[in-house]
Parts: sequence; C-alpha cells; structure tokens
Amino acid sequence: MTAEHVKASASPGEPPGSGDLRLIVRDQPLSLAAHLAHYGPVPQYASRPAALIAEVESAGLTGRGGGAFPTGRKLRAVAAANSGRSSAVVVANGSESEPASSKDAVLLSHSPHLVLDGIALAAEGVGAARAFLCVGSRGGLARSVSAVLDERDRAGLSTLPIEVISRPDGYLAGQETALVSALNGGLALPTFIPPRPADKGVRRRPTLVLNVETLAQVALIARYGAAWFRSVGLAASPGSALVTVTGAVDRPGVREIPLGTALGEVLRRSGQNSPAQAVLTGGYFGTWLPLPAALSAAVSVPGLRAAGGSLGAGVLAVLPDTACGLAETARVTGYLASQIADQCGPCRNGMPALAEAMNWIAFGQPGADIIHWAHQLTDLVTGRGACHLPDGAAGLVTSALEVFSADLRSHAQAGPCERAHRPAILPIPPGSYR
Amino acid sequence: MSQGRDDPAAVRAPREFELRVNPIRCDAHGVCIELLPELIAADPWGYPRIRPGPVPLRLLALARRAVGDCPTLAIVLAERPSGQPEPDQGRMRPDR
Amino acid sequence: MTGAPPVALVVTSSTPLWYTTRATGLVAMVLLTAAMATGLLTSVRFSRRTWPRFVTLGLHRNLSLLALVFTVLHVLTTVLDNFVSIPLVDAVVPFIGTYRPFWLGLGAIAFDLMLALIGTSLVRTRMGLRSWRLVHWTAYACWPVAVIHGLGTGTDTPVRWVLALTAGCVLVIVVLTLWRLALSWPQRPGWVTAGIMLVVLAVFAGGAWLRAGPLAPNWSIRSGTHTSQSRAASGTSAGATK
Repeated sequence: MTAEHVKASASPGEPPGSGDLRLIVRDQPLSLAAHLAHYGPVPQYASRPAALIAEVESAGLTGRGGGAFPTGRKLRAVAAANSGRSSAVVVANGSESEPASSKDAVLLSHSPHLVLDGIALAAEGVGAARAFLCVGSRGGLARSVSAVLDERDRAGLSTLPIEVISRPDGYLAGQETALVSALNGGLALPTFIPPRPADKGVRRRPTLVLNVETLAQVALIARYGAAWFRSVGLAASPGSALVTVTGAVDRPGVREIPLGTALGEVLRRSGQNSPAQAVLTGGYFGTWLPLPAALSAAVSVPGLRAAGGSLGAGVLAVLPDTACGLAETARVTGYLASQIADQCGPCRNGMPALAEAMNWIAFGQPGADIIHWAHQLTDLVTGRGACHLPDGAAGLVTSALEVFSADLRSHAQAGPCERAHRPAILPIPPGSYR
Repeated sequence: MSQGRDDPAAVRAPREFELRVNPIRCDAHGVCIELLPELIAADPWGYPRIRPGPVPLRLLALARRAVGDCPTLAIVLAERPSGQPEPDQGRMRPDR
Repeated sequence: MTGAPPVALVVTSSTPLWYTTRATGLVAMVLLTAAMATGLLTSVRFSRRTWPRFVTLGLHRNLSLLALVFTVLHVLTTVLDNFVSIPLVDAVVPFIGTYRPFWLGLGAIAFDLMLALIGTSLVRTRMGLRSWRLVHWTAYACWPVAVIHGLGTGTDTPVRWVLALTAGCVLVIVVLTLWRLALSWPQRPGWVTAGIMLVVLAVFAGGAWLRAGPLAPNWSIRSGTHTSQSRAASGTSAGATK
C-alpha cells in the first residue's frame, strides 16, 4: 500500500497549500524530526480546551471511521460529561477490521506522529488523563507504533500515558462499544446504548472514541485553524479524507482526496483500466453503485448518499465486468454472517438466513420466492440489533439485487453465470466461515 | 428542556413515551407482544417489532405493565422529546 | 380467667389462635406452592392460545402477595398465642426460640426469604437484572424450607388429609422443577443431571425424615417441645393430634 508522492512544504509549520497533501506526505514513515520540520511544533491547548473544541466545531470535521458523526459535538459531549475533572479517557480507533480498507494502517505507519499529536490534543480538549490506541493486527503495527511512542517520550513531547492495544479478532471488534467493552476486560462485542461511551465508557468514565484519521485531522486543525481546514472540500463536507481504492484498478491503495472530488476522478487517478460494472462504496457494510452512472457522484458523505451509496470507511472497490456482483455479495454476506456477535435474536436468526438466500441467488437458480425472502430478511434485520452489522449487510444485499438486476434475472432463468465462479475480487479473511 | 415554570401562561407539552427493546437482553419470551398487540408484533422468530412513535395515552398503563413483566427486563419505556423526529438512539454506526 | 368479659375470653383464649395459626400456615403453604408453580410455569414459557403468558405472570404476582399475607397472619397469631411464648423476633431471626427452635427457625428463614423475594420484585425495574435474578434464585430454597418447617413444627403433620395436601404440593413442584431442568438439557447436561439427582435425593430424604421424625412417636418431645409447652400434656388440646 503506497501513498501518493508530493513535495513537502518549504518552511516548517506553514499550512499546506490547497493542492498539497495534508495527512500523508511521504512514501516512507515520517520520523519525529521530519514531522516537526514539516508541520511545526504541537500547539498546547491544556489551558484553553474550550478553544480547541470550538475550532474543531467550526471546522465542521466529521468522523472518518464510518459514522461521520460531527467531531466537535462528540468532543463537547465528553468534555461536558467529564465536567471539569480530568478522568476522561481517549480511545484512538485504528483497528480497521474492515477487510477492504487499509487507510488506518497506512496512516499509522506513515504519519504516526500526526495521530499521536491528535490524541494528546483531544485529551487536552476533553480533560483526559489516559489514552488507548487500538491498532490492527497486520503488519507489525503495534510494534512500530510503540517504537514511535518511545521516541516521543524520550523527546519529552507529552506526559499523557498512551497504551497501544492490538485489536482483538473479528469484524465487530472495532465497533465503538465493542472496543470499549474489550478495554473494560470483557468480550469485544457491542453493548446496548445507553450508556453511550461519551457518558460512561472505559472504567465507567466519559470516553472519547475517535478514528485515527479523525484524530490526525484534529492535529491539523489545532495547528492551522478551521478556516484552513475548510479551504478544501465542500461547505457541507469540508476537508480532505483518506480513501482505499481497490479492485479493478492499476494503482490500488490509499489516497488522500479533497472531499467532494468526483468518483470518476478518484478512479481515474487510481488507474481504472478494464470496463467496470459497479463500485462498492463504504465497505462491506456499504452499498453498490452502478458504473458508469455513478462516476459523477461526489465522494463525500452527502454526495455518495445522494447517489445511493455511502462514504463509510472510505472504501471504493471497483468491480470489473468479468466478475459477478451477486457472487461477490454472497461471499461478503457469508463472511458478515460468520462475524455476528450472536447476541441479538433477529440478527442471530436473520443473518445466516440472508447469507443462505444470497448463496442461492448467486450460485443456484433462485425462484421468485427466494428473492422475495431475501428482501423480507433485509427488512427484518434492519434496525433490530445492538450494532449496525445487520443493517450494513441488508443495505449491501438490497443494493446488489438492484444494481445487478440483470444478472439476477439471468440467474433466475438459467442458473449462475460462469463469472460467478471466478476468483473473488473482494478479499475475505481466511478461516472466517463458522 | 426548561418549561418556563415561572410563566403562568406557558402551557406544558404532554410528556411522550416510547417503547424500546434491548435486543441483547431480549430472549423472545413474548410477554410484551401479548400485552400490546396494538404496538408490538412478533417477527418469524418470536422477537418483538415495535411500531415507531409515541405510546398512545390509553395504552400507557399496559406499556408499564409490559416493562415490569418482561422476564429479562429487556423492554424499557423511554421519554422522548415531544414533537422532535426520532433520534438514532441506541445503535451507533460501526466506527472503524 | 374468671371475671373476664366473654369477648376477651374468646380473643385471648389460646385455642382459637392456635387453630388460626395452623390454618393460616396450611393455607400459606398452598399459596406459596401455587406461587412457586406459576413462577416455574413462567420459566418454562408455558402458554396456550387461551392462556397467555401474562396471565401466568399476573397470577404469580398475586399468589405471592397472598402467600405473604397469610404468612404474616400465621406469624401474628403464633406470636399473639400466649400458650407458648414465641416473641415476634423469632419470626425473622432463626433458631433463637425456645419452642422447637430448629423447626421454627426454618420458618423464620422461609419468611425472610419471602420478604426478600417479594421486596426485590416490587422494585425490580429499578435494581439491576443480575441482582434481582440472584435473589430470585433463593426461591428454590424458600419453598422446601417452608414445607419442612410446616412438617416439623406443625402438630397436624400425622393427619391424613394434611399429609395428602403436603404430598400434593410436593408433587406439583417436583414435576414442574423437572420440567424446568429438562429445558436446559441441551446447553448444560451436567448441571441438569445434578439437578435431577438433587430433586430425587431431596424427595427420598424428605420421605425418610418424615417417617422417622414427625410420623414416629414422641416427635413433639424430640423436636424440642418442653412439657410445659405441650398442649396434649396440659390437656387443653381440642384438635386431632395423635
């Protein structure tokens, strides 16, 4: 996974221009010295936490982990729940259990200091005395991040204790309440809300859970201000974001784009080559968009939603004409069904049934009753669990049945197409079927 | 939500309540479905599906009984700010 | 008691109170059995088209409260009855009495558990589910303790219809408990087997104790009744004690 190469700014601490990259600026990990040379020193907000929160609020930053929740509002909620004490907890979520996404891993390996700056600043903003950084288990991230932390400790950069945790296994382990539950010594499974982590999270303290990219953006806003942040992107979705482009492209990987960039432009930069029929937006809990119709959609939360998709975790997976969208969806649905927490009745019953129905649709000859049952199941599992995994699967299946409706008709008449048995485009983690 | 207690002309909006299921605790005993068929229906596996919206005043007593009778204390009566659209309470999006 | 007004004679005379104690005790046992039975029916999810689950739950609640009422009456008449000195504290603190201390004490334990069971259930939605469940598990102890108390303290134990009534209550609870255990068989066969063995053991041990204890001669003395406390010895008995 590589980052797009760009020249670093001329003088240290100068805000990057509107054409420059902000989050990842080199192809290799940025050392502490290079980080400070490029971005300048870390500003101190310990004595004026309200100012930081106000700055993030006016910047209009929204969460980059999939929820797109306004970050300023979250900071304010945790600070209020903490009410002047210093017992809050910051949890930096870099767990990235979404198989098709690698932006958090790339960010943590290339710009770890920006993330750690963000954690320290967020802690000052809400009044936290400790922090956790949860990283994915691939690529030795825990080790490299711990080494970076040691480097910062030696340089005397921050007194905030940050504990690095390797994410537990499972698709749900990175979900906000599941992560908090695991940090509390329990299982990495979602919990019912109330209480929200912002009110009672780790050790029953107000807990701020933010994606690592969101925290990196906070570190930038704290340095250069809300107006600078808004200088790229759109008024409704300001700033830049990391996306993972994968599938039928020449240059797959993580790239940073101004929010609102046209989907076609993003795919062109990634070298979309072969004729493509659809793109999966958001992640495995996201939705399919047809190509070439969706090329004009703006890559942002409202832009993709208007096109029927979602920004989610920033995944854009291009499906070539040579693949079968129904087969890919069936495999992903089967994977998701194997990852359920098994806590809530509708999901425990509905998800395996949905996976089985999709299997029929993709690899068998589905009658109208199976297709109808699949639609009924998507309705039955949506909004009835403690987390959004079934909702995501339902959205994925519904969009697949719509976008690949021609394939659906042909499967119903003549059985699975020969494309259905081609190798999978969307990666499924090994050993994940129960 | 201050109601301007000192203002005698202020009219208090009636309190509205809604039923919510904790899906982790729910074990499909079905007592709530029996007590409130007007508001709660069973899905194919016996789990409750609650009609969205506030609980009608005439059914409030039954709703309280359903809350007390649930063998696993899985259903709760929550106050909702009247007149506002349903907030997404209870289920956070996956934060990855 | 010459010279006392007739009404006072009736009220303070020991015999009507003694009869009421025995009667309310038996009724309380039947009600407690019915309360326990409806509780077990809830846990096995019993329901029919004409018998929804909330009926079972409503009955369970009302029968428990009635059982408590009759237990309180039973306690009050026992305390008021001045033939044998049983102060009120003996009703809640076990084993400190002078009349059949062990068997009476069992009654105190059962009464305490009933208070806890009903008290926690009244505030059920306000206390945590786990704590409520923990307390409610003691129902499995409360009922047998109450029955043994009745058999050990009661002077009517050898009476045939009393024995039949008690046996009926035991049968109902045993059958429902086995039904409840059977439900958990798929998940926890080890616990279920232990439970079944415990129930069978309890029934046989109870039967053996009954034959060697209350149904054998001189139980009254062996259970801790002093001669001064014995109605048969003082010749004021009007009941059918053998």
